[in-house]
Amino acid sequence: MKSLDPRVTRLPEMESTKAKKPLDQFGTFEVFVQAKEGKPFQHEGAVHAPNLEMAYVLAKETFTRRFTCTSIYVADTCDIFVSPTTEGNQSAYELIQSENSNFSKKTFEIYQLAKRGKQHVNVGTVEAGAPTEAMFLAKDLFGTGKIIYNVWAIDKSKIRFTSDEEKDLWLTLPEKKFRDASDYKGGDKLKEFLERPKQ
Amino acid sequence: MYGGGNTFEGIKTDSIAQEDPVLLAAFEARIARGEKIEPTDWMPQLYRKQLIRMIEQHAHSEIIGALPEGTWITRAPGFKRKLSLMAKVQDEVGHAQLLYSAAETLGKPREQMIDDLINGKSKYSNVFNYPTFTWADCCFISWLVDAGAIVNQLANAKGSYGPYCRALDRICAEESFHLKYGHHCVIYLASGTQKQRDMFQEALNRWWPPMMHFFGPSDKISAHTEILMRWKVKMGTNDDMRNQFLDMYVPKIWELGFTIPDPLLKKNPETGKWDYTEPDWEEFKRVINGDGPCNKERLEVRRIAEERGRWVREALKTPSTKYIMPLA
Repeated sequence: MKSLDPRVTRLPEMESTKAKKPLDQFGTFEVFVQAKEGKPFQHEGAVHAPNLEMAYVLAKETFTRRFTCTSIYVADTCDIFVSPTTEGNQSAYELIQSENSNFSKKTFEIYQLAKRGKQHVNVGTVEAGAPTEAMFLAKDLFGTGKIIYNVWAIDKSKIRFTSDEEKDLWLTLPEKKFRDASDYKGGDKLKEFLERPKQ
Repeated sequence: MYGGGNTFEGIKTDSIAQEDPVLLAAFEARIARGEKIEPTDWMPQLYRKQLIRMIEQHAHSEIIGALPEGTWITRAPGFKRKLSLMAKVQDEVGHAQLLYSAAETLGKPREQMIDDLINGKSKYSNVFNYPTFTWADCCFISWLVDAGAIVNQLANAKGSYGPYCRALDRICAEESFHLKYGHHCVIYLASGTQKQRDMFQEALNRWWPPMMHFFGPSDKISAHTEILMRWKVKMGTNDDMRNQFLDMYVPKIWELGFTIPDPLLKKNPETGKWDYTEPDWEEFKRVINGDGPCNKERLEVRRIAEERGRWVREALKTPSTKYIMPLA
């Protein structure tokens, strides 16, 4: 290939496999970010990754490359149990039936959507045998007195958390001034240019 | 960064006649109240289709838009500029990730979008089919193409689809550095030697026509456009966006003493809008349909990257992970 860019010109010829092999597509993982110490985790979006560990690395790059945070975690989209969504006429908790499970107790992280158009925010954890049971229990703990549009429950053992030793991942971020608009002060240079005598 | 002037599919508007009138009324009422539409909500087929198309084009534009700038990383003047440009290009690719995720919540898998880009079925912003001859071309993109993109993105962030708006809020916050960086680069060229000034003037001459194309041709005010505006898929006409861009940036270009290569360009005091030479829409159509200076190269680079990355994806692939639609 002939290009203005010598590196493009140097690219190897590659046979044209018109149809890419199907399904070299990775799984999807949901990303949760804690912006400041003491603040709740909030859902930020999704990444594609071959496994939980890679999802964590990619989540760090995609969602915390530019904004400092104290911690992130990721979970496989399949491991997030989602309640029905309401129209705001009743709380999503009203749609969850009580369920007595005989499974051994696990810890579930509970996320609530308190306003349409916003993102799910962590409200705490409950101990339960199954996700529906966790949501049912969460109703009394976190869901009273307000309309909740949607609830998520995530089995804590399925989450890839940020360990304490990893928390320095974001320490150097504020040093990367070149990613900040405020690092590009052209005002003085512009002023000096404008005040130059015109030829 | 992002290509404006999206091409929308000419779906017959009577396709919405087949939608359930009660659900449609509730959907329209929700948008009229200023609420966002979320992935689990009912939505008309036309809405879903046009949004997928728009968000996908936007994502492709980020990926392809990284190519003409990325090529200058090794040749950017000095360590600081290299560092900034690298961060900017990384941002653009990150934006594509966010946008693909938003489009996926509408039901089109990411792999299919990437296939459609490579085989030429999906479009991306036409502006990236032009070559960057010198460092000044790269500065033009960083400052003015990004500026155009921000005009579009700020408008679209007020649209009706929740996941797209949230992605755009994040993107706009990151773009502010791109714009300042681009302006900084151009100020340095403008206040430099005569050779540097000439370099930017030449880049401006080359890039002005594609920049005017950037927002797309005047919209025919059809029933179709009217529906897309009512559903807050399209937030303004292409001419509105172009005018807003000219309003904000023509004075800044003139301030630096450069000449915009359009003798008719001036603000009309009566209408409050800009008059300009009608861009060559025949060229626009020709380039968008594949006959531009760089179309082949852009897609070929993308295809080779995909081929060369295959072994990495295969090595990493774990059969236990499963692709499903992201949640929000």
